[in-house]
Amino acid sequence: MRKLKLFPLIAIIILTILLSACGGSNQAEPAASEKVTLSVLVHQNPPMVAFMETFNQQFTERHPNITIDMSVVNANDLSTVSQTRLSANDIDVLDIFGFANGAQPYMKMVEPPNWQQLIDAGLLMDLTGQDFLKNYDENTIKDAGSYNDKVYSINLGRVIYSGIYYNKQLFEQYNIAVPTTWPELVTACETLKAEDVPCMTAGGADGWPIFVGAYGLLGAMYPDQASLVQGLWEGTIKWNDETSMEMWTKMQIYARDMMEEGASGVAGDAAPGRFASGAVAMFPGGSWYAPSIEAAQPGFEWGYIPFPGSDKAEDNQYWFGKYDQGWGIAANTTKKDAALLYLKEFSEPANYQAFVDAVGFIPTQPTAKLNTQLGTEIAPYLANFRVGYEQYWTPPKGAGQFANPWASYFKPFGTDDDPQVLADKVQADLQAGLDAVK
Amino acid sequence: MSYHFGRKKTKWLPYLLLLPGLLFYFLISLGPSIATAFYSLTNATGIKGATINWVGLDNYREFLFMGRASADNLAALNRTLIFCLAVTLIQFTLGLFIALLVNQKLKGTNIFRTIYFMPVILGAVIQGLMWRLFLYPLGGPAAKLLSLFGMSSEFLGGQPTEAFAWVIFIQIWANMGTTMMIFIAGLQTIPTEMYEAATIDGASTWQVFRNITWPLLTPSVNTNLLLNIIGSLQAWQLFLVLIGYRNGTQVLGYLIYATGFGQTSGSTSSSFRQGYAAAASIILFLLVLVIGMSVQVILQRRERRILG
Repeated sequence: MRKLKLFPLIAIIILTILLSACGGSNQAEPAASEKVTLSVLVHQNPPMVAFMETFNQQFTERHPNITIDMSVVNANDLSTVSQTRLSANDIDVLDIFGFANGAQPYMKMVEPPNWQQLIDAGLLMDLTGQDFLKNYDENTIKDAGSYNDKVYSINLGRVIYSGIYYNKQLFEQYNIAVPTTWPELVTACETLKAEDVPCMTAGGADGWPIFVGAYGLLGAMYPDQASLVQGLWEGTIKWNDETSMEMWTKMQIYARDMMEEGASGVAGDAAPGRFASGAVAMFPGGSWYAPSIEAAQPGFEWGYIPFPGSDKAEDNQYWFGKYDQGWGIAANTTKKDAALLYLKEFSEPANYQAFVDAVGFIPTQPTAKLNTQLGTEIAPYLANFRVGYEQYWTPPKGAGQFANPWASYFKPFGTDDDPQVLADKVQADLQAGLDAVK
Repeated sequence: MSYHFGRKKTKWLPYLLLLPGLLFYFLISLGPSIATAFYSLTNATGIKGATINWVGLDNYREFLFMGRASADNLAALNRTLIFCLAVTLIQFTLGLFIALLVNQKLKGTNIFRTIYFMPVILGAVIQGLMWRLFLYPLGGPAAKLLSLFGMSSEFLGGQPTEAFAWVIFIQIWANMGTTMMIFIAGLQTIPTEMYEAATIDGASTWQVFRNITWPLLTPSVNTNLLLNIIGSLQAWQLFLVLIGYRNGTQVLGYLIYATGFGQTSGSTSSSFRQGYAAAASIILFLLVLVIGMSVQVILQRRERRILG
């Protein structure tokens, strides 16, 4: 009998060893003077990463007991890495994009967005009542970082993604006026192409930069993008109605005639450099690219205008964009004091101003100013900033893969070359989802 | 019947020795597989602490029958089969051909074996990045080569069918070394006397291949076919690195990753649907099981017929 009992005992020992190898570590809360390593996660944005490295260095000089271990991941992978590291209690401070894509009352059977899933699972710390929140614009805190009347993130800035960068020297050289309407943009591209200068480029290898560039076209047709999303869900707006057809027709011209040949292979990070090299005349892209353009070619003269998607100049005076990077703290962090201190110091007006100067975000602290060239370029239309479609849209379950207004469906990036056929396909893909969730 | 390990003191020894391996297999392979089957019946997000609700067969119903999304899923399934067929046929044939070439007793064959095998050790990310650079349409090596003939291409960023064909090509390039090595190992087990006897009898090269090499390579043929089929049905990493989530190019393996980790909509706040992705995984598993088992039965019958 004694020998028989040995077997389960050995089995338990082996199992314990194996399971303990898989277990996480639980550290005790460090004392204020104890050495602490704070794990920080940010997404790849070269000027922001450069700023963060400097800030981290200054932070550790002020607090020698705190070491910062910063990880940088691609923007597309941020949600995956955040979820994994939060679940493993392996992160303290993390970068979270502004809260968006929340389920609206008119939406049926939609999944909650990733940030909401994290909060519901109790993985993000409630920041409500922290003093540093007062440094930020109240509406931003409410719109981009709150859920169920509690604050879980401080948002660090808005970005625009409906603008076009243009090369001032090339425009001057070929006597081209800065376009304010769609026909003027078409003419400008024709003039440039006649001179053997490619009109536009974008980071097509990453996929989304192609359609981000065309947000201005969508915005020109539907300036109120929240209403657009509601209209699509309720069936009052269709992707193949008259207004949308104008958008598709123009998108085809944008994808087929305006983009340079080979833009589909340009990486998102490489596109600003290609534009700054003077190889192309225009670059439809987000405001976050401005520091990269300046860094790639100091002294390069560029301008930034709203994408003129409408035939009327007065309709082309909007910026569409989103709330970009924000900070959150892991609810289960064992370094709560150090994490809060990190956010507190980051939020001090002088540090925040330096951050805005470095990354070109539109500030979310009322006292901060966008002192860069980008600030000057966007200032005339800044009062017309609107949150874009992408931040509101959540597709119904069952919708097909074409249920979005993307220019990348058109050749050479996609397979379509007939706007009407494509519009019908997009609407059919959307309608299938709407019918399925009825 | 004799019992090898005795009946008293050493009775439990074989089981004890098997235990670490079994536990490891359960923790690493079988356990997660069972968990995947369970999660496929829930709305799990994969987020620690999130509520998990039982949804029955809803995920399967949505994947197979709901709206246009199900048609897209079935198209991805179809594309997976095309990918599998193309990769298996070409990789198998090419691997065999190159194995025959580098198995000759000639100078320098080891160098060629190393060169052909080298891509295998690189890993999907490095393989993908290399080819993305090579196929860069604005002045990359392939673009320059085409331009010599007055041609151009968008390569991986071009039409979905072209991008898909490039992934097939790169998948074969990346894995052909393994196929070749298995065939070389098989070729080296064939006794040289058989070739000598055939040569003395006046057999042609084709006759030697058909009547000696091919039948005696049966174990290697079976191994390679199964590995190629299963590997290509599960492929997803090269799709991620080379073309990302793009309409008209997804295979089932990549679709599972994209839906499980919120990579489908282009939005950075897409939800994680790991219950749904688990259901898609089970469908892929069934596909691999049916095809794999069918092929194995056919191959075993053939092996018995040839080798007895």
